[in-house]
Amino acid sequence: MLKSDSRPGARCWLISIALGLAVAAHAATPEFEIEIRNHLFEPDVLVIPAHTKVKLIVFNRDPTPEEFESFELNREKVIMGGSKAIIFIGPLPPGEYPFFGEFNPATALGRIVVQDDGDAG
Amino acid sequence: MLVNSVIIVLREVLEATLMISVLLAVSRPLQLASRWLAAGLALGLVGAAAYGYFLGPVSNLFDGVGQELVNALLQFGTYAALLLIVFLIARQGSQPYRNSRVLPTAMSTAIALAAAREGSEILVFVTGFLHMDNFMPSVGLGSFAGAAIGCSIGVLFYYFLLAMPVRRTLRIALALLALAAAGMSAQATRLLIQADWISVAGPLWDSSGFIAEDSLPGQLLYALVGYEATPSATEALVYTASIALMALSIFLGFRAAGQVPTRVQ
Repeated sequence: MLKSDSRPGARCWLISIALGLAVAAHAATPEFEIEIRNHLFEPDVLVIPAHTKVKLIVFNRDPTPEEFESFELNREKVIMGGSKAIIFIGPLPPGEYPFFGEFNPATALGRIVVQDDGDAG
Repeated sequence: MLVNSVIIVLREVLEATLMISVLLAVSRPLQLASRWLAAGLALGLVGAAAYGYFLGPVSNLFDGVGQELVNALLQFGTYAALLLIVFLIARQGSQPYRNSRVLPTAMSTAIALAAAREGSEILVFVTGFLHMDNFMPSVGLGSFAGAAIGCSIGVLFYYFLLAMPVRRTLRIALALLALAAAGMSAQATRLLIQADWISVAGPLWDSSGFIAEDSLPGQLLYALVGYEATPSATEALVYTASIALMALSIFLGFRAAGQVPTRVQ
């Protein structure tokens, strides 16, 4: 009796661990998307949480290549025309981090705003 | 578009031209025929064309971080070649180098790897504008001007190095190669962080208020010693360890020179 009583408890426990792990794994790297269209970033301002690594997916909708570049973020990546690029960013302290398209720096400008959870919204 | 092309090409070629200047300056006292440069550049251009052509598919490898991994591999490869180069130069002293093909081959390798990485980016940039006729003249002209400025800086640096006594030229060259190589291995580490193959805790310090990375001194320091205003602890550690390893290689070279009996005169 004791055995069968403890089993659902254990199963419940396991399921909640599994769920917790799945949530944690998902929450570990939140994903954000940016598009490049007509040599412009869309959106050009992206808010991400502080002290958290995030996965940035940049879609280049233009036929021409672009290079995502940021001195402040220490990131640099060529994105061929009509393709997407994955760039991991952070963890970063709160602040503003400009980025630009090196091949079209006059128009392709944007910034990433890193905020503490409390400041968001 | 014109100024933009100048800046892009200049930034890409600067690192390679400075390395070429130092290696060429070293070749003079060692009486090394500069064939290694032609071979390295030719190989690098072929590599740049191939890498630039396949950059799209390469980028999609390894869950979309193929570009970072290939660039990191090229950077670490350059570091390894330079590690061997400084050992051989230190061991040689200012004696003519006639022992083997190892040193010129290592120099060609270092140049080829650097040229393939930086050249592919220039190629992607320039060819991206090929089908836009109105842009092409300014892109072509700007790229040429950027390359010319980069080469001029390299030539000036070459004569600056050669204007010194031979022993000092060699010592300064060894120090510069050690710093440049450490910068490359730190850059390669940064690429692995960007690809999420290495996790970091965030920037260790921020010296951008002192020397901004996008300023002229920042860019020059980046090309020379791999300057980074906001490095993570991992990058700082790799940079320090890479310099230590280069210093060890130079030390072993000097020691080997001291221990080896005098060559046939």
